Amino acid sequence: MAQDPTTLGGTLNAEIVADISAVQQSGLLDYRSEELPTWCPGCGYYGITQALMQALADLHIENRNLAVVSGIGCAGRMPFFVNGYGFHAIHGRALPVAQGVKIAKPELTVLVVGGDGDGLGIGGGHLPHAVRRNVDLTYVLFDNGIYGLTKGQSSPTTPTGQVTGSHPYGNPDRPLDAVTLGLAYRASFMARGYAGKPHELYPIMKQALEHRGFSFVVAITPCVTFDKVNITYDRLRESWVPIPDDHDTSDLGAAMRLALSDKLYYGVFFREDRPTFNDNVEDTSGKARE
Amino acid sequence: MAVSETTGPASSDVVIKICGAAGDGSIAAGQILNLAAAGMGYHVMNFDSFPAEIRGFGKSVAHSRISVERVLTPGTMGDCLVALDDPHSITELASLRGNGIVIYDSRPADYHEEDQAVAGWLQPGMIGYGVPLRDLSAEATKGAKSRNIVALGVVSWLFGLDADGFRWAIGKRFGGKSETVRETNIAAFNLGWECAARELDKADPIDFGNVALARVENVSIVSGNEAAAQGCIDAGLRLYAGYPITPATKIMEVLGRKLPATGGVVVQTEDEISAIGHVVGGGFAGKRCATATSGPGLCLMVECINLGVMAEVPAVIIDCQRGGPSTGLPTKTEQSDLNIAIFGASGESPRPVLAPTNVEECYALVLKAFEVAEAFQTPVIVLFDFFLSSRMEDVVWSREAADRFGVYEDFLATPTPEPYARYAITETGVSPRAYPGMPELVHPITGLEHDEHGLPNYSGPVHTRMQRKRQRKLETLLARWPAPEVVGPEGDLEVGIVSWGSTVGAAKNAIKRLSESGMRAGGIFPRLMWPLAGDALREFSARCGMLLVAETNSSGQYAALVEQATHRDVLRVCEAAAMPLPTAAIEAAALKVHG
Repeated sequence: MAQDPTTLGGTLNAEIVADISAVQQSGLLDYRSEELPTWCPGCGYYGITQALMQALADLHIENRNLAVVSGIGCAGRMPFFVNGYGFHAIHGRALPVAQGVKIAKPELTVLVVGGDGDGLGIGGGHLPHAVRRNVDLTYVLFDNGIYGLTKGQSSPTTPTGQVTGSHPYGNPDRPLDAVTLGLAYRASFMARGYAGKPHELYPIMKQALEHRGFSFVVAITPCVTFDKVNITYDRLRESWVPIPDDHDTSDLGAAMRLALSDKLYYGVFFREDRPTFNDNVEDTSGKARE
Repeated sequence: MAVSETTGPASSDVVIKICGAAGDGSIAAGQILNLAAAGMGYHVMNFDSFPAEIRGFGKSVAHSRISVERVLTPGTMGDCLVALDDPHSITELASLRGNGIVIYDSRPADYHEEDQAVAGWLQPGMIGYGVPLRDLSAEATKGAKSRNIVALGVVSWLFGLDADGFRWAIGKRFGGKSETVRETNIAAFNLGWECAARELDKADPIDFGNVALARVENVSIVSGNEAAAQGCIDAGLRLYAGYPITPATKIMEVLGRKLPATGGVVVQTEDEISAIGHVVGGGFAGKRCATATSGPGLCLMVECINLGVMAEVPAVIIDCQRGGPSTGLPTKTEQSDLNIAIFGASGESPRPVLAPTNVEECYALVLKAFEVAEAFQTPVIVLFDFFLSSRMEDVVWSREAADRFGVYEDFLATPTPEPYARYAITETGVSPRAYPGMPELVHPITGLEHDEHGLPNYSGPVHTRMQRKRQRKLETLLARWPAPEVVGPEGDLEVGIVSWGSTVGAAKNAIKRLSESGMRAGGIFPRLMWPLAGDALREFSARCGMLLVAETNSSGQYAALVEQATHRDVLRVCEAAAMPLPTAAIEAAALKVHG
């Protein structure tokens, strides 16, 4: 565990000491490794991580049975900061690797993390297939609309016209929407949350981890260093609305209408129970033994 | 027609080709012929060629060699051609010996223009036997579909190959079908046999004398791909992930049928990148995982294999090579993926590469690949090729026999008070392994350069140490792997032949022929292609007046490595001619240089 915070230089006021002590008792630190994150101060990823840790702690997932798989990008560094087995793999291939982990060893909780470039750009071809196999994974897509690790080029979710390092005269391409894609592929759990509100993101993460099947969570998150115009804390504070209480999460059409509307909804869009890949494996194995 | 007494084939060895249009049943007839012969105790090798298209106008040829001794090569020239389709068979005559035999339909359904009947194309010296295949088929099965089986009756009588052995094989081949199907096919066989006995004047010298060497009821005649699948199963494969590609697909199909009953899983992925991703993921999770592909798929897999090398994850990749580059020649054989198997990677990415030389070794080396992958915590590539993947041989295999390539054990970590170091520096290069689920050994792994604890580290000394560690694992493997097979007399050799993979059969044949002609010839045949058996190659080379490297590619990929190891120029006997490198090419090269 990290160094005892009460011995850090200078005197700490009672309020901070109390906060630290609360965090220590929350169980959140059980899922943090000793490595300090490499993310910029103010990065939305801290909020996502906090929500994830809280959900893991709530569900009492054993560290030795937790596997965090990632590709490349700022989000890809997550496995180093988690107290669990981690596989920081290669760009775009987190989903294939994670499926192999889960299929080979079904008793593990497999968490997949990655950015919009990793998941919708280079690795975009793997998403529909992981979804249709319904492998029991929780996939958190950190969507910040920019390539951060390579310092500010356009990503598959950068809005048209935005000026970036790779498009100094404005991005000419139309952006993809991860939620619409996930619904079109019929992910058996489809949700969206916001890094700036970890307390609202946390219950979504918890439901995603509990869901049997492929859970797809899109976490909208500001890149405070390379995006000053699109996904910013200021802008999202205004446009962010919860999915209405009367939304029927078993209604794919209604989910799609929410996803396609002008409003930026957060919450669970769609969920359904259907056999997971490992359920089907059991079924196949039974047939083969007959 | 006259029989040449001097050059006629010996009755201990015959090459029979059954030629038809795709759909005529030539392949099925070849399978029965092989099974019958193997059941009689003969050795067989079968190498069919058929069009990439499923049906249609393509020619389909079953090529079987039956011999008293273990068969090393399928032989390029046929002794006998069974013509189920005249126009296609005419084009096949070029690969029949000058005194070869042709069995043809004497009463085909359609009137053939004179230049379309195969009988009109026989060269002087060839022997033709006309049998009313179609009429006899109609008599037995009310249609033309059993012409292939009728022809087998003719073959049986003509060459003195035990008729009961054929009836047994037909029974086995149609074992899954109804009693009627079995009976009508046996009737078709009998009609062919009786007609031949009644009508034909035997004019050729091939005669196996109706002697069954030994009844081998439990013989299996399998392709290299089927042997590979069995090797996977016997190794305890838990996850196979693959994408269909010729000529590797059969491995996935056989595993799809057999693996689930053992508790293993087959995933058909969206592409080869995903397939190797699954395999590396499953290897990280501590399970035995594999994929099979061909050259184009291997190209896609390279980045993930490289990840496996860097993160030290076990994985088995079978590459069934085919003609390249690019989509190349999907149904033709070639040994041209050696370079990509050994060197295909960014950076320096050492991993073992194995190459079986026959069907039995396809089983044994795939089985060993899993052990090596686990013991040395690395991806292992096993190089097949179209010829090995699809040719069939009578084989007897066992796990114990596979142990002649060594026994390699997993090295697992146990928790200590010290923080676990996944990449601890050791003398062998191998660090104690841990995987998810194991308590108190939680750690990250990464494709980034890393320190002993798996954390990213880009410092010069760490990179140097880790590069050496990964390299050292291969040196340890080389020291533990048995010395390469060396054949021929001891002492100095006039000609030394280095060969690998499916070309070794032809190389051994060539050595035999050269030795018969009085030359001191020998050979060395490594199965471990990488790390390179440098000492063994140098030692062998030092005994050879001339060193020749035989392989089925056009640049001499292994030859270049042998030159590097031996510091001498070698004679490259290499050709990518859409077929296995023939014995004659190796023999001729040796004779030409040696004079």
